[in-house]
Amino acid sequence: MPNKTKTFYESEVERLYDDGPIRPEQYAQVRQSKAFMEKFYPKKIELDDLAKAAFMSRFHYVRTFQRLYGLTPRTYLRDLRISKAKRLISQGLPITQVCFDIGYESLPTFSSVFKKCTGYTPRDYYRFNKSNLE
Amino acid sequence: MIRIYATSVPVEDQDKALDFYTNMLGFIKKTEVPVGEYKWLTVVSPLEQSGVELLLEPMAFEPAKVYQQALKEAGIPWTSFAVDDVEAEYKRLTELGVEFSMAPKEAGTVKIAVLDDTCGNYIQLMQEL
Repeated sequence: MPNKTKTFYESEVERLYDDGPIRPEQYAQVRQSKAFMEKFYPKKIELDDLAKAAFMSRFHYVRTFQRLYGLTPRTYLRDLRISKAKRLISQGLPITQVCFDIGYESLPTFSSVFKKCTGYTPRDYYRFNKSNLE
Repeated sequence: MIRIYATSVPVEDQDKALDFYTNMLGFIKKTEVPVGEYKWLTVVSPLEQSGVELLLEPMAFEPAKVYQQALKEAGIPWTSFAVDDVEAEYKRLTELGVEFSMAPKEAGTVKIAVLDDTCGNYIQLMQEL
């Protein structure tokens, strides 16, 4: 069970977030767009789809998302897809299949983005991960 | 190109820490290299076995002990680990006897909880919302 008295840290967390400038409904709205990304990342996702999922205009959505998460929705979606790709590659799925399964339409683009995000090409990542497991 | 390959938590007893971080938290031991009376001892996430390693670093520098203790007294976590479901981890770890200084709580875009690693630190678990 947690201690009965709040620590300094917990009090500070409450002070910073419970009385913060962001309204709870804004968090909820942006989370809906994140849920949309989680569900539809294997498909093509346009900014309009995300803004619509958050019930906001494109401009307001991008600004709010960036304020809450510190990065743009596009970068967040890219990182989400690469994170899914890493798991699939680790499971031994063919690179081309991984590319299409996570929503990329071009293998060269996927390989280039994967390398930018992880430092490895998808094939090298597979080899490195396999040798680590062995 | 430069990259982050390890980060660390200071621990009072490396063997005790290895037991807690593997058997309780679920990390996997990666490297164990003897270095004098201590060892270079790291663990990794099962999902990122070729990723960043967590060094269970012996707390052998007196001034650092003062800092570690001050953080602990304020309930400030030494570091933070990501989990998929913080409520589920809170339940699982509580049932294993792990003590929490802070139960799961929403804080903006995340839900967090803070546990005692029994090695001198509080550790935050974070679920992105």
